[in-house]
Amino acid sequence: MSDVVRYATPKLGGYVVLTALGLLASLIFARPELAAVSAPFAVVLAIGLAVSRRPDVRVYVDVDRDRLLEDEEVVLEIELDARDSAPRLELLVEVPSGLELVSGANPVALRLGFGEERRLELRFRCTHWGAPRLGDLHLRAGDAAGLLVWEETLERGSVLRVYPRPEELRQLVGPRETQLFTGNRVSRAKGEGLEFADLRQFVPGDRIRRINWRASARRGELWVNEFHAERNADVILFLDSFVDARRSDRGTLDEAVRAAATLTERYLLEKDRVGLVNFGGVLNWLRPGTGLVQRYRIVEALLNTEITLSYAWKEIDVLPRGTLPPKALVLALTPLLDDRAIGALLDLRARGFDLVIVEVSPLPYAETPPGELGELAFRLWKLRRDGRRLQYERAGAPVVEWREGEPLTSVLEGVNASRRHARARA
Amino acid sequence: MAVTLYGTFAADRLALLVLALGLTGAALLTYALATVNAGSIVSALVGVAASWSLSAWTRGTGAPGGTVLAAVGIFVAAELAYWSLEQASVPDEGELVARRAAGLALRGFGALFLVACVLAALGLRPGGGLILETVGVAAAVGLLAIVLVLARAVYEAER
Repeated sequence: MSDVVRYATPKLGGYVVLTALGLLASLIFARPELAAVSAPFAVVLAIGLAVSRRPDVRVYVDVDRDRLLEDEEVVLEIELDARDSAPRLELLVEVPSGLELVSGANPVALRLGFGEERRLELRFRCTHWGAPRLGDLHLRAGDAAGLLVWEETLERGSVLRVYPRPEELRQLVGPRETQLFTGNRVSRAKGEGLEFADLRQFVPGDRIRRINWRASARRGELWVNEFHAERNADVILFLDSFVDARRSDRGTLDEAVRAAATLTERYLLEKDRVGLVNFGGVLNWLRPGTGLVQRYRIVEALLNTEITLSYAWKEIDVLPRGTLPPKALVLALTPLLDDRAIGALLDLRARGFDLVIVEVSPLPYAETPPGELGELAFRLWKLRRDGRRLQYERAGAPVVEWREGEPLTSVLEGVNASRRHARARA
Repeated sequence: MAVTLYGTFAADRLALLVLALGLTGAALLTYALATVNAGSIVSALVGVAASWSLSAWTRGTGAPGGTVLAAVGIFVAAELAYWSLEQASVPDEGELVARRAAGLALRGFGALFLVACVLAALGLRPGGGLILETVGVAAAVGLLAIVLVLARAVYEAER
């Protein structure tokens, strides 16, 4: 809580000047009626300052919940308890970016009588994911005559966790390789599972229930069914946070974070291990893990993602060992704007990682510069981007463009289609 | 505006100057309210008061008729002007508006009574005398001292 600052209002200064001028003019021009004109101002000053005292108001702030999704609403309750009367109390709640007022007055000026209690409710809608702090108040209390004001800032805010609203996904990008742990993915390897893989001759030790009686009857000897093992996969979400293309309150990083949160949730539901690499001015990483705790860890890390300007060159070597497990599927969400991220992704592919690049397109946020040269430069820039995409595809990493407003599920279906084509060509 | 027009019509001479001073004050007040500029309110009120004082001066010695109403008019205009400035930043809720309006009406009647009393008191001793002038000088010096103290307090608070 900050200190209370008391200061004089413009009214006090104005009344003092008017009184002084009236009395001086009265003396100088020997006109007693001028003193009479300034008398009400003098009396207001005298009585107002004599009875003026700091209003004693206790403030209690509470939010109805601190974890919510985008577009959900949160209610801020402010309880005012006047230990002494407050003739005019102004109250302003700091509204952080990402929240907008839906109902209730902010700022508000009210009067509190002696011992009066008031409860104010402000309803906010979360328009953007993040960790906004809600509940910091500015109080300004004036005396009855409006001559003096006491101002105070109350830091009673709570940090809200506004999670990105997950998108509907019909299917995920499947990894080329699975890991050793049990999961929901059908492995190419044979083992315990439900998906039929092949038939083979019975060997001692095989379970009786595995015998395929129809095939055994046809061949005159015992044959058993073989199944594909059901394994999990390691998925690393690679978030490029070096730069983003932005227009007002939307940008490529916002889209990428939303996509990352959605993918995290869905891959974890599939019992995959999910990790995060936030590759930007500030490097963050989370080793792959499973379960609800990992989901919250990743989403919390995503909430704190921001663009930090940095000119330092970074390569993928800066990541600690174990962050990128072998055979992991690396799903990169990048606007393909920064050479460091572009180089790091090529490096990952060269090291044999199964890499899929979802290009969060910066084109909707870019405008063609005016003039012929500007148009030419813009076309060259787009050609250069096409060249980069081709470079990745030659290296065996599919790139799909994700434009603003397009559903993520259609983008991922595009990835799966391109991987199927690639397998067919191979 | 009413004070300005009254002063203009009541002036024995220099009516145009009275009107010009009053209109300047009114224009300054409009500017102050439109731009939420508290500093201009004082200048505006001084302009209106000067207009009325000039009108009174043209009518010779002694308090002219309408002094009480002019004084109350200037006072109520000042109260309303500062109230309007407060509304520009944070509007009052309904109950507070009603209470403040009632308070303003009460202060207006109080001012009416006060000015009438002051004029009556001054009317008993039209020449003023040494004691009254000494009190007046002391009050003026005291007010200047208050201005200085407040200016210092504001400067320190801002620092």
